[in-house]
Amino acid sequence: MARIPSSARLVSFLFVSSMMASIKAGSVGAKEAQLVAEVRSKGWIVFSARTENSDWDLFLMRPDGSRLSNITKTPKLNEMGGRFSPNGEKILFRQMPMEKEFAHDQWGAQGQLVIAHSNGASPVSMGAPGEYPWASWGPDGKQVACLAKQGIQIYDLASKKLIRSMSRKGIYQQFFWSPDGKWFCGPANHSGEKWTVVRMDALTGEVNPVSSFQNCTPDWFPDSSQLIFSYRPANQEIVDGGKMAASVGEKPDAGWTQLWRADGAGKKRTLVYGEDGRHIYCGAISSDGKYVLFTRSPKDGIGLKNDGAPIGLMRLSDAPVIRGDSIALRRLTPRSNEGPVLELPTGWEPHWTSAHVEVPRGK
Amino acid sequence: MVNNAPTRQTWLVIAIMWLGILIACEKRNTSQVIDPELASSGSAEITAQLVEIPGEFPANDFYNYAYVFKYRVLKVHRGQVNQSEIFVAHYNPLKSRITVGDELSGRIGGNLERFRTGAIHRMALEEPLDTYWMGGIIDKYFEDKGTRYWAVWTNQEER
Repeated sequence: MARIPSSARLVSFLFVSSMMASIKAGSVGAKEAQLVAEVRSKGWIVFSARTENSDWDLFLMRPDGSRLSNITKTPKLNEMGGRFSPNGEKILFRQMPMEKEFAHDQWGAQGQLVIAHSNGASPVSMGAPGEYPWASWGPDGKQVACLAKQGIQIYDLASKKLIRSMSRKGIYQQFFWSPDGKWFCGPANHSGEKWTVVRMDALTGEVNPVSSFQNCTPDWFPDSSQLIFSYRPANQEIVDGGKMAASVGEKPDAGWTQLWRADGAGKKRTLVYGEDGRHIYCGAISSDGKYVLFTRSPKDGIGLKNDGAPIGLMRLSDAPVIRGDSIALRRLTPRSNEGPVLELPTGWEPHWTSAHVEVPRGK
Repeated sequence: MVNNAPTRQTWLVIAIMWLGILIACEKRNTSQVIDPELASSGSAEITAQLVEIPGEFPANDFYNYAYVFKYRVLKVHRGQVNQSEIFVAHYNPLKSRITVGDELSGRIGGNLERFRTGAIHRMALEEPLDTYWMGGIIDKYFEDKGTRYWAVWTNQEER
């Protein structure tokens, strides 16, 4: 993959800083300001972002974007996929040399699994590169479930012993264990269709489809009864002759990826957020189940130049939210809201905890 | 007096005929040489005819995938393949086999340039598919039970 000029990365970093400044300066509207006040003290968000050194580090921030702090500071290493443990005391993430690039849909199987305190202190490598792929916290934080070619593997973290394994039933990436420990989810090959988000019973291995055709990045609601995921509907109307898609090198009929939610049985699916011209990925629900984080990438992948995408935050009660012109999407969903949506720093794979985290004073 | 000795032209014709025969033999021998990659790859090696291509191949511009084809087995050279028709998954079928292998696929290859209905392929196979490929799979035969093989090495055979 082509390297990004350091100047472009610097621009990206400066964008982070400028975004923080705009929020602090109160340049957001009244509705956004209300949302800022509402979420400011609701825990912490961990996410990956490029630094001025052009490597990927892990950052913490308050949900309003304040208290931004780099918690890994590893200029020769890339970190991706930070996930808080259920009690918020630890994070797990992937780490690899900065010469290697994370792929937007393979990062969970790349590099080494590292576990650290939730403020990044005392990182411990758990194995060799490639081991513990797609490690996902178990409900008590003492086990992780991994997704390997051989199947789903559950390990005890203290002893690193394999507790049990089971068939992965076609699940192939972005694999997450539900907070109650009863389910797994991930994109899968199901009934001949790839990119189907499925739910798997963690004991029996029984699988049901949640959303078929072009779905990915699923994650759990805190009560484990619903999923948030990305979905790119087929046959989207092209209203601009495909100019917007062509401007980022995509096919006119490729369509835009939206954020959706569904119950675990896949009986009811609803739009959460959509914006023609943006691919919406990395949906992550707040610990109280009231808010959702997502990324808004102008191009399919980790941003325009593999450098991340602006993170957004909105209330689930405001859904469906449609932004931008989005002429085609508004025709399909006439009753929608404009937001509010907080525009947070550029990054990838955000995750939220309500726990207290000891974070050094940052920007 | 008639001169019965071969003329220069006759010798030239004879030489060209021999050359043609030699080239034909060489070509035949080449096609019969067993590719060592075929012999050393996978747990089974077969010659089979591609029965059909059940749909268009999606572009490989961003996402990798495997595509399941139906084959009629003509000969089992090595290993156990007991069915007369089998399902074989090929990685990123829009790409030639010599260039298709990458970090995700592991070691795969062959001399096949393009997939065409009715073509005869000699293949080294592994199974089950899930053990060798963890990614998107397009399987138009999903209602048909049976093993899905992973094509490790795929060569074109003369018809």
